[in-house]
Amino acid sequence: MAPPSSSKLFSLRRLLVELKSSNSSCSYPCRVYRNYSPIALLSSSPLLQQSSRAPEFSENAFASPAPSFYRGFCSQPLNLDNGAQGPAAIDYSSLLPEEEFHSLADATINDLQEKFESGRREEILERGKGSNDFERIEGGVEYGDFIEMDGFDIDYGNQVLTLKLGNLGTYVLNKQTPNRQIWLSSPVSGPSRFDWDISSQTWVYRRTKANLLQLFERELEQLCGKPISLS
Amino acid sequence: MLRAGCRSVLGLGRQKHQAQALVRLYHERVVDHYNNPRNVGSFDKNDPNVGTGLVGAPACGDVMKLQIKVDDETGKIVDACFKTFGCGSAIASSSVATEWVKGKQMEEVVTIKNTEIAKHLSLPPVKLHCSMLAEDAIKAAIKDYEVKRAKLGSSAEAAPVEKAADA
Repeated sequence: MAPPSSSKLFSLRRLLVELKSSNSSCSYPCRVYRNYSPIALLSSSPLLQQSSRAPEFSENAFASPAPSFYRGFCSQPLNLDNGAQGPAAIDYSSLLPEEEFHSLADATINDLQEKFESGRREEILERGKGSNDFERIEGGVEYGDFIEMDGFDIDYGNQVLTLKLGNLGTYVLNKQTPNRQIWLSSPVSGPSRFDWDISSQTWVYRRTKANLLQLFERELEQLCGKPISLS
Repeated sequence: MLRAGCRSVLGLGRQKHQAQALVRLYHERVVDHYNNPRNVGSFDKNDPNVGTGLVGAPACGDVMKLQIKVDDETGKIVDACFKTFGCGSAIASSSVATEWVKGKQMEEVVTIKNTEIAKHLSLPPVKLHCSMLAEDAIKAAIKDYEVKRAKLGSSAEAAPVEKAADA
């Protein structure tokens, strides 16, 4: 059923060799391919014509809405002007040391898991309709019970947090250590990749500037009809 | 009695395992793209009509190279090919991407969304990232082509690039 493994291996090997050679010809010491949102992509194109203004281009690129960083390989060195640049070279390991990343990411994921599972120390607030009164529900209430949903399930295994919301969909949250990112798959907003933002001390998806916890709050309220406080 | 007990436990276990296995099956479209991938191959990177998008990283488990051949005059993508190192969903996503870009205008192709690819292949939640990578590969290929055109056309008329940008 599978294609002949030897030819597949051979072509894979060739692809990796190609990657290595393209990487060695890359002008950046660190291997990052910056990816642009469609708006930035199309709007930055006229700038590329003005090769003499390469520094401006890179500044504008920084200002452009939420680029997302991959640790990848440059397909071709973007030297509009001998090495001056479009994307900045980002060394992920210097941005955030692996240990620190693990402790931050684990803390975030465990925290989320706790909040979904139990309201023991946390309070789940329910706002009365049209009034400012809060009815506080304390105690061991699982969010699933709170929203009275069948098929609500939380699972944490192999460092992957899976939140099932019955027919409404499934969230999958996991660490992506090489990129120092947390990856989320949402039934509402699809895939997102969150980087640790030092200034705000939160996980932010650069393309949309979304904050991980706020995204969960917003989407869960939208999906399940009841608010949840995660921040 | 013990044996009967064990059998029933095993029987139950088997059922549960089967139920779980059903949930994890690849959609037939993914299997199809895996077994009969469309447009595998590569173009000459140095060809001025070729845009190459290379995204992902081996450390992350997925690398996609997607190349497009563009007709200079019309801005239409006349051919596309890919090579992907990764899971079945990643291979299928990039294969679908090459199918969808063929014969389309560049401006039209940047609007291809990862959600469409994921829906087409019925990707499970954990594999949505593959479809996003495929979308990024398309955009990267377009961008590479535009960069090339800009370099070539910086002295000449840059109308085709402007047209693409204005769209």
